[in-house]
Amino acid sequence: MAQQSEWEPKLLGFLCRWCSYAGADLAGTSRKKYPANIRAIKVPCSSRVDSLLIIKALRLGFDGVLVSGCHPGDCHYLTGNYRARRRIAITKKFLEYLGVEPERLQASWVSASEGGKFAEVVTEVTKGLKEVGPNQLFSERKLDGTKTKAGS
Amino acid sequence: MEQKLRQEAKALLEQNKVDWIIGFEPGSLKFTATPLITRDKNDTERLIINPFIVNNLADFLTGIKGRVGIVAKGCDSRSIISLIQDNKIVREDVVILAVPCPGLIDLVKIERLAGKDRDELDDISRDGDKVTVTVDGQKKEFAINQTLFDHCLACELPTPQEYDILLGEPGPPAPELEVSGQNIAKLKEALPAERWEFWQNEFSRCIRCYACRNACPACFCQRCFVEETEPQWVMPVPRWQDNLIFQIIRNIHVAGRCTDCGECERVCPVNIPLRSLAREMYGIVDELFSFKSGMDKEALPLMAHYEQEEAEDLFK
Amino acid sequence: MADKKVGKKDIAGLLEQWSQQFAVFAPSKESGVAAMAEWDGKDISFLDWYRNTVVPPKAIFLPPMEELFRFQKGKEGYNIEPPPKDKHKRLIFGVRPCDARAMAILDMTFEQALEDPYYLSRRKSAILVGLGCTNPCESCFCTSMGTSPTDQTNVDLMLIDIGDDFLIEEVTAKGKELIAKTSGLKGATKEDEAKAKQAKETAYNKVTRKLDTEGIKDRLLASFDDEEFWEKTAAKCISCGICTLLCPTCYCFDINDEMVKQEGTRFRSWDSCGFPNYTKMPMENPRQEKWRRVRQKVCHKYEFYPMTFNVIACTGCGRCIRLCPVNWDITQVIESVPARTEAKK
Repeated sequence: MAQQSEWEPKLLGFLCRWCSYAGADLAGTSRKKYPANIRAIKVPCSSRVDSLLIIKALRLGFDGVLVSGCHPGDCHYLTGNYRARRRIAITKKFLEYLGVEPERLQASWVSASEGGKFAEVVTEVTKGLKEVGPNQLFSERKLDGTKTKAGS
Repeated sequence: MEQKLRQEAKALLEQNKVDWIIGFEPGSLKFTATPLITRDKNDTERLIINPFIVNNLADFLTGIKGRVGIVAKGCDSRSIISLIQDNKIVREDVVILAVPCPGLIDLVKIERLAGKDRDELDDISRDGDKVTVTVDGQKKEFAINQTLFDHCLACELPTPQEYDILLGEPGPPAPELEVSGQNIAKLKEALPAERWEFWQNEFSRCIRCYACRNACPACFCQRCFVEETEPQWVMPVPRWQDNLIFQIIRNIHVAGRCTDCGECERVCPVNIPLRSLAREMYGIVDELFSFKSGMDKEALPLMAHYEQEEAEDLFK
Repeated sequence: MADKKVGKKDIAGLLEQWSQQFAVFAPSKESGVAAMAEWDGKDISFLDWYRNTVVPPKAIFLPPMEELFRFQKGKEGYNIEPPPKDKHKRLIFGVRPCDARAMAILDMTFEQALEDPYYLSRRKSAILVGLGCTNPCESCFCTSMGTSPTDQTNVDLMLIDIGDDFLIEEVTAKGKELIAKTSGLKGATKEDEAKAKQAKETAYNKVTRKLDTEGIKDRLLASFDDEEFWEKTAAKCISCGICTLLCPTCYCFDINDEMVKQEGTRFRSWDSCGFPNYTKMPMENPRQEKWRRVRQKVCHKYEFYPMTFNVIACTGCGRCIRLCPVNWDITQVIESVPARTEAKK
């Protein structure tokens, strides 16, 4: 916590190419300010984001993951984001149950024309991540109290 | 019930209505039953029904060619329906021999209650709401809800709804939801960090035998993501991180297919409380989408369907 | 020299003494799962509950997962960093005779067939202190597999339960040396030895499961192509890895590198011939079908190992029977292997 001022969270964004990715572009071209903490990956649709990608990002040390797609009803492929919604919803709930801070997985609907909303979402998500601190979910040193089962 | 089962199964094979019969025969250890998979009508003489028919036989359906007559408890029948929903099997190829199931006896609980290992017990018998365990010639009596599997205490469908042949009188479900959900409720009281540490500890025992996956009828992928090497999602080494990711994703992948049959937890050789994951996912799916797997064969699979308005509060 | 004995209540003291010199492993339960774990310095309650571990003691010598080495990519090739050396020699307390025999069987692979420095460095420095069974499980069939509940052949020291004490049989020079340096032991009397003899007999008779392995090697050889038999045998198997991973004589492993940027680790971890991917190769998989994998498992233990080392690679510990999710029983399978197969078709 002492390092909070220096530490910057790393956020991985899976952005739908038809909307949120363009929204991010728009935020840039219209000079909206948002934190530089996000690394964006362009995906064909928010439904492409298997939960595996989300967990893998956390495993690799990202502090949080943002999945962003088209508003319900606006999917380029008609129903992709509805399916994404189901999958992300259960993933989010399930991770929360396991003990993952809810801030670490966020999802949003951002259209190509919502540069402002994109900036807001990233700002908000980054702020949340700063509050929960660095992701140490998979770090080795947390494991203690267990007995050695085999040769140490 | 057993006699009827044997007759029906034999007739199915004789009349060439099925190619296979999948049921249970006596196991080689005390208080065990073992799956019997046969095309020989004489084998049907060995079929049994008792409180120890623990396996979910639906697990074998995806690996078998031909028409199958299958002995199904309520939970097994839900797995069968779920496989039909997913187009893994065709309804016409399955003859469901429905067993009204009053719940299965959990030998781990019996061992704990009796203070002895299962092979040291002389007898376990059930009479209505009482289970009598005989140890060293002495009888001990326990209430049924102390001895049934947790998942049986949460059973919503003791007798299959979808069947071809009903083998007995259906009984009412007798859910003891509170007892059944104890472990999950206790976990939920803990702080997130404590919960994570709990799972970390549990999964540090995992040896990656994949019994949980292979015993699960809902895990029917031709190739599991843990076996992918390009990209390598998880390492095939039993590190707790990889073990836990395997199980998290497995649960997410079977969401909407898991019928809370409890097999994952039962088969685990190192006692990882896997049902506490599976059941929670079952609950999440029900809470968010009012979806209960394997209840309605006409329903679309969870992930192949959506409503216009749902789960919106989770999105920004 | 007469045998020594140790009081049951003095076991904690004995382990304490040995802890000065060794990393002592003893049976321990975590969430109901018995395994050999580093002794915590006080708990000897295992004397009350211990029958055998779920995880066999092989896990100490061939761990479920180990780092073979770490590596870094430098300008001139790779930099290899070997794993840290063991600080302590290990003493495994409470090894059952079946598992001790299994260690001797594993030695054949890791010493005779090919020297495995990782395994051998741990194995050679270790002391096995056996503990005779008094209460074998229903699934045990050790007496059919060349050992017995109190067999001292493959341990350094053997403890036999004689009531309030354990009689200590000094088997190897290593064992004798350890006992010579151990204080607080009592001399065993003629009466104690008689009691031990009695205990051995009683335990032997408690193993009721029998397996006739007469001619099994030839029967398996003759039945190798009996697809119908193997398909029937394999029908209920779900291809999980319990019976192999937790078998005390199974030693198959997998090797994997994990690399992040320029640094990596080479891991060795348990693998199982029961997994379809075990034999997967770019072009084909010779054991794609389940029955071929089941056949491999059975034949490796009862046919190939005897062909190579003249010993069946099964010690009758019964784990595979006890732990199998579908009650696939090796003794039933071995018994059902046809004496000879008539020509098919």
